[in-house]
Amino acid sequence: MAMKRQIPFALVFIFGIFMLFQYFVPHESSEWVYEFLLDWIYIIGILALALGIWSLFRVSVDKIKTKKPNWVYSYVTLMGLFIMTVFGFTAKTGDSWGLYPVFVITFMLALFMLIQVLAKPASRNLYGLFGGAFLLAAVLIAILDRTWGFYFMEAKGLQNSMFRIFFDDVMMPILSTMFALLAFFIASAAYRAFRARNLLASLLLIAALIVMLRFNPYLPYAAYVAKVSNWLMNVPNLAGQRAIVIGIGLGIVATALKVILGIERGYMGKG
Amino acid sequence: MKRTTFVVMAVVAVLFLLSWIFKAIALKGTAEHYWIQGFLITFAAFLTLAVLSFLYKDNPFYKFAEHLFVGMSAAFWMCLGFWTTIVQNLIPRLSSSLSGFFEVPTIPGDYNFFFYIPVLLGLLLLMRLSPKGGWISRWPLAFIVGTTAGLNFIRYLRSDFIKQISSTFVPLFGTDWQGAGHFFSHLDLSATGQLALIAANWLIFVGVFTGLIYFFFSKEHTGWFGRASRVGIWILMITFGASFGYTVMGRVSLLVGRITFLFKDWLSLIS
Amino acid sequence: MKVILGIVFLAVLLTCSVAFAQTDAMTPADSTAADTLSPPAPPTDVKAVDTPNDHGHSITVTWKLSTDDGGGAKSVSHYEIFRSASPTGPFDSVGTAVAGQTIFVNGGDKEKQSEDYFPDDSNFYYRVDAVTMNDSVRSSSEIAGPAHAYGQWYNTGRTPVLVAVLLFMILTIYFVSRARKGQELYVRPLGGIEAVDDAIGRATEMGRPILYVLGLGTAADVATIAAFTVLGRVAKRVAEYQTDIIVPTYDPIVMTVAQEVVQSAYLDAGRPDTYKEDSVFFVTQSQFAYVAAVNGIMLRELPATNVYMGKFYAESLLLAETGAVAGSIQISGTDEIAQIPFFIVACDYTLIGEELYAASAYLGREPVLLGSLKAQDWGKALVIILAIAGIVAANFGWTWFTHLFKVAN
Repeated sequence: MAMKRQIPFALVFIFGIFMLFQYFVPHESSEWVYEFLLDWIYIIGILALALGIWSLFRVSVDKIKTKKPNWVYSYVTLMGLFIMTVFGFTAKTGDSWGLYPVFVITFMLALFMLIQVLAKPASRNLYGLFGGAFLLAAVLIAILDRTWGFYFMEAKGLQNSMFRIFFDDVMMPILSTMFALLAFFIASAAYRAFRARNLLASLLLIAALIVMLRFNPYLPYAAYVAKVSNWLMNVPNLAGQRAIVIGIGLGIVATALKVILGIERGYMGKG
Repeated sequence: MKRTTFVVMAVVAVLFLLSWIFKAIALKGTAEHYWIQGFLITFAAFLTLAVLSFLYKDNPFYKFAEHLFVGMSAAFWMCLGFWTTIVQNLIPRLSSSLSGFFEVPTIPGDYNFFFYIPVLLGLLLLMRLSPKGGWISRWPLAFIVGTTAGLNFIRYLRSDFIKQISSTFVPLFGTDWQGAGHFFSHLDLSATGQLALIAANWLIFVGVFTGLIYFFFSKEHTGWFGRASRVGIWILMITFGASFGYTVMGRVSLLVGRITFLFKDWLSLIS
Repeated sequence: MKVILGIVFLAVLLTCSVAFAQTDAMTPADSTAADTLSPPAPPTDVKAVDTPNDHGHSITVTWKLSTDDGGGAKSVSHYEIFRSASPTGPFDSVGTAVAGQTIFVNGGDKEKQSEDYFPDDSNFYYRVDAVTMNDSVRSSSEIAGPAHAYGQWYNTGRTPVLVAVLLFMILTIYFVSRARKGQELYVRPLGGIEAVDDAIGRATEMGRPILYVLGLGTAADVATIAAFTVLGRVAKRVAEYQTDIIVPTYDPIVMTVAQEVVQSAYLDAGRPDTYKEDSVFFVTQSQFAYVAAVNGIMLRELPATNVYMGKFYAESLLLAETGAVAGSIQISGTDEIAQIPFFIVACDYTLIGEELYAASAYLGREPVLLGSLKAQDWGKALVIILAIAGIVAANFGWTWFTHLFKVAN
């Protein structure tokens, strides 16, 4: 029982107090322990990604299996996951691609059969058979075709042009378009706030309007607006920022202290 | 599938093909693999429009783009994390034979063996997947939470508490105080002069003061305290409004970027 | 008369030019005088000590200015500092300081393999030369040393922070122990918190789930930890009312913690078997892919309530607006100042900054947490008091007070 709850809290206390006192000790030994600990956190985070990917895989397969609404699109997620992984670990050895496209297609078909095996246990054997055949073909191509290879060195997989292409031409358009959606959403959010008609939202919108219009040369009294908006940014804005920052800082400090001292226990779970 | 859905999909498919063909022909002179380039640009435009269609309502194109993006990005970050952190930073420190296999240069250091610990902690975290041993995954969590709590405690105490206090030490009565008589007889009443600066400092001080009062939790906000708290939230709203206005311009420029892509790179309507 | 004037004028001209020629002839004499500059007075009182408040690998050399620096012959252009491992030499130059400077920090790397490596615990001897415009005309000081570098165990420049740490700990422990003894603590009402219960009730009535977004922070961010405690409370009520909860996560470690929290909440509520494992899941670690997926969930599952707590960045408005369009009640709390305005505008209730950190105390009403909230308030009161004191000090020119708050790097 102690192992389950007490030791974790003891660990939190020990490491918390250490980091706290480390700040005051400039000596080298405390410095390298500090750097180590930060590196460790980063590494654990990357290793934890395996848990995340496993969760995504499991949830997607489950959706297909139980035929939840929009289950078809889970295939798209899984295929996207697989194909990017394949590109991330393979690359050209020479100038041409050889049978690489064939390999990719057969390997993806094998993985597709794998999904089917997991999601449709009734026809498991049939899918398993097909999957095995495709996998065999893919492996044969991988062994025999020397124009490309599996790469585990120097991030050659990242330099795989297909990896880059998929990043640049599939991920980037979606990413930047989503970001661009914000412009539309700001307009609708501002409109809704305007209709809300309470003093606080109105104050917010008026201040926003003044700051937004400050660079607009076509307005009447443009210079005056620019002056007012400058004053706004430098005086009340600064005061408010400082008040919020102090509040947040105290909140963070208090919460961090509660966590270290074990007063705040909600994040650890029970049992 | 409903009839309208079928028709819409057919129309989109035809438009896609047309765009691909036209784009490829347009790129014939300039790009090497113009068919592939044509396809990629068309696909990027298709994805852009699919995401933009979200503004109208949820539809199969958006669902496709969303699920594809989720799967691909998860794999992307996994590959990136593997290559840049595990292979380039962690493995070179752990063992030279592993470094040889991955063909990365070994990073020498006196205390490299300590880096086995985060690997161990990462494995403990993965124990989460086993039904019986799940509790041991709390240890690496405790390590991470404790270390960062200690770090954040000190960092925010310094930057959001001490530094903020010392920033408020501004002269409220001019830069050199030589007595009330001297102050009033030497007061410069010009708009850009000393008076404006002093007024701004006073306003900032009052703003910070009332803003902090708004955040008081353990006292009832009535009477003078309540009035000060009201002024505080007004100042905070002005702050938020200024921040809102400031960010809006940035978002609009992103939208302009996307529209430029659609009209310039894809449709070639503008050059 | 004109002739005489003319002759006198010519004579004056001649004498002037002779005098001029003589001064011209004198300037070369001046430059040769420069060539034969006498060496300046050497710097005196050279001291070499370990640089304080550092991790070692550095020695600070100080000296008194040469009397010819700014005074006397005014011939010193810079100082050059030499170092040797033995008092007899050989001395190597380690750097220069401009005229008027009296201090030089000779530091180096702590890595043995580095070119700039400066060993600890080795004795070094220093000499400071006063150098003129002509590099070879210089004078050396006495040899100072031996001095060795070593790391300090306490950085005195950071004492104000230590005082603050101790003060905070004392305040927190004091108020928490007072709360444990049963003292009642008042807290002012927070709109967002009071809405949580109603929101969960609404979801149960409509038979729709609750969406809880933990933000894009990692388990290392304190805002996310605050979000976990709120999640625990919300999940417990959700378990009691038998509503569904959906928790899409951005970070795998956050997913792990969230799973623990929600599962324990179901255990607490006495319904461990109704916990669905897939209610907390990982989406992706890419900002906009995550948002696209959560937006999809909002439009398809149509949750009755959306709760956003934690760290949010540019995607905050995308989430909040989509939720508003889908008709959900939205409660948000974040400490990212740039995103708070978007939440205020698009959500029904927003916890601003510190209110997020107070939320866990509000939802549980545990005396211990309320006590710590009081300590936070005292912290703010302290800020106000110290700020007023500091302004008074600044206006009266009492710099000693403002120096108390200076934290050295």
